[in-house]
Amino acid sequence: MRSFPVNGLSDDELRAQAARTGLALRVDELRRIAERLGRDPSIVEAHAFDAQWSEHCSYKSSRHLLRKLPTEGPTVMQGPAEDAGILHLGEVHGSRWGVVIAHESHNHPSQVVPFEGAATGVGGIVRDVLCMGAEVIAIADPLRFGRVEDPESHQRYVAQGVVDGIAAYGNAIGIPNIAGDAYFDERFDDNCLVNVVALGLIREQDIIHSAAPPGSEGWDIVLVGKATDTSGFGGAAFSSVTLDEADEDANKGAVQVPDPFLKNVIMRATYRVFEYLRERKITVGFKDLGAGGIMGCSAEICSSGGYGAIVDLDDVNTAMKNMPPEVIAVGETQERLCWVLPGEVTPDVLRIYNEEFSLPQIARGACATVIGAVQGEKRYVLRHGDEIVMDVPIDFLTGSIRDELPVRPMSERKVTDPARRYVVGEHDAAQLLVRVLEHRDVCSREPMYVRYDGAVRGTTVIPRGYASAGVIAPIMGSPLGVALAVAGNPRMSKADPYLAAAYAVLEAVRKVVSVGARPLGLTDCLNFGNPQNIEHYSELVHAIDGIGAAARELGTPYVSGNVSLYNESKTGNAISASPIIACVGGIDDVSNVVTATLKHAGSALFLLGRPQNAVGGAAFAELLEQTGGPVPPIDYERAIAEIAFFRAAADAGFIRSARSVGNGGVLATLAQMAFPTLQPGHKPLGLNVLPARAWAGDGVGEIEAYFGECGGFVIEASGEDAQALASIAAEHVVLMRIGEVTSNCVMRVAGAALDLRTLYDRWSKPLTEVYP
Amino acid sequence: MRAKVAVLVFPGTNSEIETWRICRDVGLDTHVVHWSQAASLPNYDAYVLPGGFAYEDRVRAGAIPAHDPMMDYVIEGAQSGKLVLGVCNGAQIVLEAGLVPGTGAVRKPTAAFTRNAAAHFVCKHVYLKLTIPPERCAITAALSPHALIPAWAAHGEGRLAATDEHLREITDGGHLAFVYAHADGSVDERAVPNGSALGCAGLTNREGNVLAIMPHPERDAWNYNHPDRRQTDNILAPSGGVMLFAAFAQALERL
Repeated sequence: MRSFPVNGLSDDELRAQAARTGLALRVDELRRIAERLGRDPSIVEAHAFDAQWSEHCSYKSSRHLLRKLPTEGPTVMQGPAEDAGILHLGEVHGSRWGVVIAHESHNHPSQVVPFEGAATGVGGIVRDVLCMGAEVIAIADPLRFGRVEDPESHQRYVAQGVVDGIAAYGNAIGIPNIAGDAYFDERFDDNCLVNVVALGLIREQDIIHSAAPPGSEGWDIVLVGKATDTSGFGGAAFSSVTLDEADEDANKGAVQVPDPFLKNVIMRATYRVFEYLRERKITVGFKDLGAGGIMGCSAEICSSGGYGAIVDLDDVNTAMKNMPPEVIAVGETQERLCWVLPGEVTPDVLRIYNEEFSLPQIARGACATVIGAVQGEKRYVLRHGDEIVMDVPIDFLTGSIRDELPVRPMSERKVTDPARRYVVGEHDAAQLLVRVLEHRDVCSREPMYVRYDGAVRGTTVIPRGYASAGVIAPIMGSPLGVALAVAGNPRMSKADPYLAAAYAVLEAVRKVVSVGARPLGLTDCLNFGNPQNIEHYSELVHAIDGIGAAARELGTPYVSGNVSLYNESKTGNAISASPIIACVGGIDDVSNVVTATLKHAGSALFLLGRPQNAVGGAAFAELLEQTGGPVPPIDYERAIAEIAFFRAAADAGFIRSARSVGNGGVLATLAQMAFPTLQPGHKPLGLNVLPARAWAGDGVGEIEAYFGECGGFVIEASGEDAQALASIAAEHVVLMRIGEVTSNCVMRVAGAALDLRTLYDRWSKPLTEVYP
Repeated sequence: MRAKVAVLVFPGTNSEIETWRICRDVGLDTHVVHWSQAASLPNYDAYVLPGGFAYEDRVRAGAIPAHDPMMDYVIEGAQSGKLVLGVCNGAQIVLEAGLVPGTGAVRKPTAAFTRNAAAHFVCKHVYLKLTIPPERCAITAALSPHALIPAWAAHGEGRLAATDEHLREITDGGHLAFVYAHADGSVDERAVPNGSALGCAGLTNREGNVLAIMPHPERDAWNYNHPDRRQTDNILAPSGGVMLFAAFAQALERL
C-alpha cells in the first residue's frame, strides 16, 4: 500500500506535498487523519478523505448554520437528510403522493467547461431525485452570468455553453424544463452560477432510502452505469477551492463528461427495477454516485445503515486498463448509481440492466455489476490487486467535521447606507418603462428557454413564459398539480444580503401562489465566496438567518439544499451573495390554475400590496445610476395576509390572470401580461394604467410605485367582481385599483400612449444577440 | 376486436409514455414495445414511433434507428398496408427509412428533416394544418378538410430539406400532409418554427398509410395542457391534439 507521508514532515513540507498531489486537505486535517489511523494514510486514503472532508461533501463550515433552518411541518414527508427531500402533494386512490425535490450547483465546472459542466449538473440532480425511487418529472435552472455584451468574451462563451449544455441533457432524457431565471452582473464575470433543480414523483410507500437497510450484512453492493474512467478526478475538492487560472488544465480534468443518451436508458431501466422491487416488496438501498465517486457513495450508503463495506476495485468496470486505484475509487465519472441488494435478487436486477436494457450495447463498458459487500464491522475497506489499499473506520471517513470560522455580527453587516441621500428626481415614466423592459434582468428570457423542451411527458399545464411559475399535472388520471418557481436577486444582495435572502424566499413563494398553488416547501442553494474570508462568511451566515426567518414566518419548510462556497477567482473577485430559493407548490385541481396572460378587455386591474419608497437594488435605479437606497424591510404580517387573500380570491374564481410583481416592477409586470395577446390568433389587448398618485399611497413617489420591485401581485378581475374582491380583502390587505384592460393594443401610462408591439419588440430583443 | 398498437422504444426514445397514453385514451389496445422485444412486432396492427433522440441523433436524427432491426418489421408492415405514425424523432426515423415521402427506395430517403434554420433546438407551441384532402391519407381521413391541430414543436432537426426535384415530387404527389399555421389557420413564414421547406410539418406516402409529423400533438392532447383555452369541465379529458389520434383510431377501426 503506497503511503502518503505525514508523520515526520514539517507543516511546510506537508503543505507542498498536498499541493503536488492535488489535495485540498489542510495540514491540520492530514495530521488528524494520520493520528486517528495510527499511521501514514495510503495514497488512496488521502484522496478519499480529500473528497469526503471537502466542503462539497462535509459542509464543514455550513452544516451547523443550516441546522437553524426550519425543516418540519405538515407537508414534510422527508426532510433534508438524504440526496433529496420529499413534500406531501396529496392523496390519490388512498395513496399518499410526494414531490421529491433536489437543488444543486455546478458552478466551477460550468465556468471552466460550460457545456459539459452545466450538462453534468442536470445529470447529477436528476440522479439525486431518481435514487429516492422516484420518477423524474421536471427540472428548473436558475442561472447567474457575468457581462455578456462582448461577443469575444469568456463570459458570453460561458452564458451560451451553459444554456446549450442544459438543453442538450434535459431534452435528451426527456424531462420538461418548467422554471428558471437568469441574471447578468459583473460580479459573476469570473464565476458563473449554474444551479439546477429537479422534481420527482413518488408514493410514500415506495420511497427508497440511501442507506443499507437493517439486516443487510453480506448483501451485494452493485454498481450501475458508465464504465469508470479518469474524468472528474478530484471533482469534490475542485468545487471546494477557488478557481485558479493557472490550473486550467487540471481543472478541466476535474469536470465530468455527460452522456445523456446512456442516462436516458439507465433511467428507464431503473424504473423497471423499481417496478420489479415493488412487486416483490423488497427493501433495498439506492444512491447516486456524485462527489467522491465509488468510495463516497458506497461508504455513505453503508455507514448510514450502521454498517461497513468492502469493495474490490478490480470488479469495477473501467474504461481502460491499469487505472490507479485512487482514480477508480474517487473519480467522478458520470451516469453511475449504486444499489445495496440481497443476493437473491441481484441476478434479476443485473439481467434488467444488462440484457433487457442492454447497457453494454448502449455505451462501451457500461453495465451493472457486483463490486463489493456490506459488512458488519464498521470499517471501509478497498481491495485492489492483491492489496488492501484502504482500511479506515467508516464513521471517521463519513462522519461530520466542523470548521470554526470568524463571523461579523449582524449589526455590522454591510448594507447600502440608508442615510445616503437618494433622489429619484423627475423622470418620464413612459420613457423609463422602455429602458426598464430592455434591462438585461427584465427583458425576455425566451431566447434561452426556447432551447429547452418544456412539454415532453405531456404533463405541462403552464410552460415557461406563461406565468411566474411553471405547472405540471404529473399523476396520470388525477387533477393534482405541481408548481415550481425559483428566486434570488443579486442586485438586491449588493444592497443587503440579509434582506435579499429573505426576499428570495418571499418572491419564490409569491410566484408559486400567483398560479393558484399552495406553497408546500422550499430548497435553498447557497452560493457564496470563500468562507475563510470573514466578509464572505458573514454574508453566508446572515443570508442563512434571512432565509430562515422568512421561511419560518411564511410557514414553508426546507426539505433539501446545497451549499456552494469558494465562488471567486484567484484575483479575489467574489460573486454577489446568492442564496437561490426554489419553491414547490401543490394544486388540488389544475382546472383552477391562474395564468399571467390578460383575458378580457374591460377587466379591472389591481395591485395587491403596497408600493414603498425604498427600492434598493431595483433595475430602474441602476439605469438612473442610483443605489435605490435601502432594501425595504419585510412586513410579514401583511405579506401573509396578501398571500391568503390571493388564494381565497383564486379559489373563488375571481382572478382572470395574475402575476407576482418582479424585476422591473408593476409596469413591466403589466406589459408582460399583455405581450402574449399580441401573438397571431389572439385578440390583442391593451392597458390603461391610472396615475400612480391615485393608488401608490401617501408619500410614495411615482417612479418608485411604477418600478419598485419589492413585491405584491398584479391581478386582473372582472369589473363586476371588483366589489366582491374588495369585500374579502381583510384588514391588513392593501388592494388598489390601478387600471383596466382595453382592446386597443396600447399601453396608456403617465400621459403617454405606448404601442405594445413596440414595447414587445424592445423587450424581446436584447438576449437574441447572446442567444441568436 | 380492438386494434393492437405498438409504441416503439429505441435506445434514446423519450416520449413513449404520453404517446402510449393518448393512444389508450382514444380506445386503442396500446403496448410499449422495447428494442429487446422487437420479435413481437409482427403481432401488432399498427406502429407508432414516438419522439426522442434514438441512438443519440448520431449522423443525422433518425439515420441510425432507421437501420435498427425493429424497423425491418415496421417497413414490412408498412408495405403490407399497416398504418405507421411517426411523431418528431419518429417522423425522422420514418423518413430516413424511406417510408415517406416514399418516392425512393427503402432506406434511401429522398428528403431529410435536418438542422433547424436557427441551428438550435426550438420548443414552441404551433398548429398543424391539414393541406391534403383528408381521405388522401388513411390516418387523416376522419379529420375535416383544413383541420387545425394544436401541438408542440420540440426539435433541433425538423427543417424539411430536399432537392427542387424531390420537393416538386412531394407537392405534386400530394405528400405534403401538414404545414405549420397560426392559431387562426393563417399560414406565413412566422408560423414555421424551423425554416422547413414548403412550411412542411408532416408528410405521407403514396399509399397514404404512413404519416410522419414533426410537432407533438400528444403534448397538447388533454384539457390541462392548455389552461387559457379550456372549454370543458373535465380537465383530464383529451382535447386539442387528440384529434389526430382519434382519426388514427378511426382509421384502424375501418381496416
